Amino acid sequence: MTTTTFISPVTRKHGLAAEWHALRAVVRREWTIFRRYPSWIIALFIWPIIFPMAYILSSQALAGPNSGGLLIFQHNAGTTDVVGYIVIGTIIWMWQNVVLWNVGFALREERMRGTLESNWLSPSWRFSLLLGNSAVQMVTMLIFIAVSLIEFSVLYGVRFNGDPILVTLLFLISIPSIYGLGFAFASIVIIAREANAFVFLVRGLVMIFCGITYPIAVLPGWMQGVALFLPQTYIIYGFRAAMLNAADFQTLLPVYGILLAFGAFWLAVGFALFHRMERRARRTGALEQY
Amino acid sequence: MNHWAIEAEQLIKKFPQRATPEAAAPSDDAEVAQPTAPSRRRLFGRKQEPAAWFTAVDGVDLHIEQGEVFGLLGPNGAGKSTTIRMLCTLLEPTSGTAHVNGFDTVKQSTQVRQSLGTVLAGERSIYWKLTARENLAYFAALFHIPPKAAQPRIAELLERMELTSRADDLVEKYSTGMKQRVAIARALLAQPPILLLDEPTLGLDPQAARRVRELVKELKAEGHTILLTTHYMEEADQLSDRIGIIDTGKVIALGTPAELKRRISQQDAIRLEVAGWHAEMAESLRQLPTVENVTPRYTGADSLWEVNLLAANSRAVLPGIIDRLNTNGTRVVNLNVVQPSLEDVFIHLTGKALRD
Repeated sequence: MTTTTFISPVTRKHGLAAEWHALRAVVRREWTIFRRYPSWIIALFIWPIIFPMAYILSSQALAGPNSGGLLIFQHNAGTTDVVGYIVIGTIIWMWQNVVLWNVGFALREERMRGTLESNWLSPSWRFSLLLGNSAVQMVTMLIFIAVSLIEFSVLYGVRFNGDPILVTLLFLISIPSIYGLGFAFASIVIIAREANAFVFLVRGLVMIFCGITYPIAVLPGWMQGVALFLPQTYIIYGFRAAMLNAADFQTLLPVYGILLAFGAFWLAVGFALFHRMERRARRTGALEQY
Repeated sequence: MNHWAIEAEQLIKKFPQRATPEAAAPSDDAEVAQPTAPSRRRLFGRKQEPAAWFTAVDGVDLHIEQGEVFGLLGPNGAGKSTTIRMLCTLLEPTSGTAHVNGFDTVKQSTQVRQSLGTVLAGERSIYWKLTARENLAYFAALFHIPPKAAQPRIAELLERMELTSRADDLVEKYSTGMKQRVAIARALLAQPPILLLDEPTLGLDPQAARRVRELVKELKAEGHTILLTTHYMEEADQLSDRIGIIDTGKVIALGTPAELKRRISQQDAIRLEVAGWHAEMAESLRQLPTVENVTPRYTGADSLWEVNLLAANSRAVLPGIIDRLNTNGTRVVNLNVVQPSLEDVFIHLTGKALRD
C-alpha cells in the first residue's frame, strides 16, 4: 500500500544567517512588486508637493499684502521661513501617515491577497514579513523626503542649512518611533475589523497636537501637555531646528535622547502586539477571514 | 522511532462565535457543528463574551503512514480545512495533540513547517505581480534554502511543472492551472517528506485537474506522504491509499476505498434522470422496500434532475420506482444500475451528497 522511499530534503541554512537571507528576500520581493505598480511615481514625485501647497498658500494669504503677519509668526515659531517650516511639518506628517497605511495594512493586504498563510507556512520568523515591508518603505520614504526638499528648494527657494550628518542621524533615530507605531497598527489591523478609523484618529492627533503647520505654543495648555507625549512633536521640532536653524549636536542631543526612548517604547509595543496577534490568530482563525 | 508521518489524537477545534459562523470560521469550515456554552476571552485587554462556541473539528484521530496518500473527504464545512490548518500550525487545536514527522504541531511548530509542503488556497497563495521564477526564489529563501541550492531546484521544478517557457512571465498572466502548478512547485521546493494538499484541483479545467492528479501519483511514487482533501469522490478513489470521511467535524468512516465500498456492496446504486421532478417524490420512493439514500440533484438543464438511490435488489424494486415516477407529467428519461461508488458510501453514511 505505501512506499518506503527516503525523501531527502534540500539542504537548508540555519540560524541567523538563514533569517537574514529570508529577510533580504522579503525586501527584494516587496521592492520588485512596488516597482511594478506605476502609481509609485505619483506617490514619490507629485504627492510631496501637492499636500503642503494648500498650507503654504493659506499662510501667504494670511501674511497680508506686505507679509506683515510674518513678524507675528516669527515671534511664535522662531523663523520667518514659513514655507520651510510647513514643508518639514507636513513631510513628517505624511511619513507617519504613509507608514500607518502601508506598514499598518501590510499584513491585512497579504491576507486579502491570499499570501499571508503561504508566508507563515515557512519556517522563517513571521515578524520578518513586517520588517522587510518596512525596510522597503523606509527607502521609498527617504526618496520621498529628498524629492520634497529638492522640489521646495527649486520652487520656493527654501534654504535648508542644517548639518547633513545631524539631519541623517535625526532621521535614523526617528525611525523606531514611526515604524514601531506602524508595527503596532499592523498587528491590531489583522484582528480589528474596522481599522481605518484608528488611522484617521492617529493622523488627526499628529496633525493637531504636533504642530505640523504652526508652533505648538499657540495650543491651549492641556493640548501642549498632550503634544509632549507624542514622538512626532519632537521629530518635527528636531528637523526644524536642524534644517532651518542649523542647530548643533548639543542643541539636538535632548531631542535624540527623547526620540530614542520613544523608539524603544514603540518598538517594544509593536513587537509585543505582533506576537499577541499572531498567537490569537492561531487560536481564532483570524488569518483567513477574507 | 514513530513510524507515523502524521498522527492526531482527539483533535478538537472550537471557534468563538460572535456573529455568524461564516464570519468567525475559516471559509471552508463555516458550518456549525454544535454550539456550546459561552465562555470569556480577551480582546486587547478587554474581556468579551462570545455568543457561543462552535465546534469545527470534533475529536479527530488520524494515523497516516509514511509514503501513504490519505484522502480526507467531506462536504464544505465538514472540518477538512480546519484539520489541515491545525496540522500545518496555522491553527492551534483547542484540545488534543497532533504530530507531523514526529514533531508536535504546537510545541515544535518550526520543525513541523520544515517537514511540510503545503498547498492551501492554491492560486491565491503566490504573488501575481512576480514571475514564477521570482516566486519560487522568494519562497526558497523563506524555507532557508541557500541560493546555490535554490537555483537548480527551481529550474528542476519549473521543468517538471512544464512552466519553463513561461517562467519569467508575471503570474497574473497565467491560467488557473498554471498558477496552481506554481503553488505546488512552491510546496515542493524544500523537498519535504510530507505534503498537505487542500483541494488541489478545485476550479481547474479537466485537463489541468488530470495533470495535478498525475503529479500526485508521481509524488507518491517518489515516497512523499500526502494528505489530500477533496470533495471529488473519483479523485479520492483514484489517488488515495486510504480515505477518511469527515462530516460535522468527525471522522465517520476510515479505510481503503475498497473497504469503504464493501460496506454497501450488498446494495445496487440506481441512477435516474427524471424530467419534471417534484420534491414529494423522494418520500414516495423511500417507502419502497429496501430503498434508501434518495438524493435528487437539479442538473441545471431542461428541467432534468439526477436522482441517486440505493436498493438491495434493483430488479425487484425498479418497476415500482418507474411506476411512482411516471405520473402527472413526470418522466424517467434515463436509468442505470451500477456498483456503489464512494459517493454512495458517503451518502449512505451521512445522508447527504458530497457537493451539498
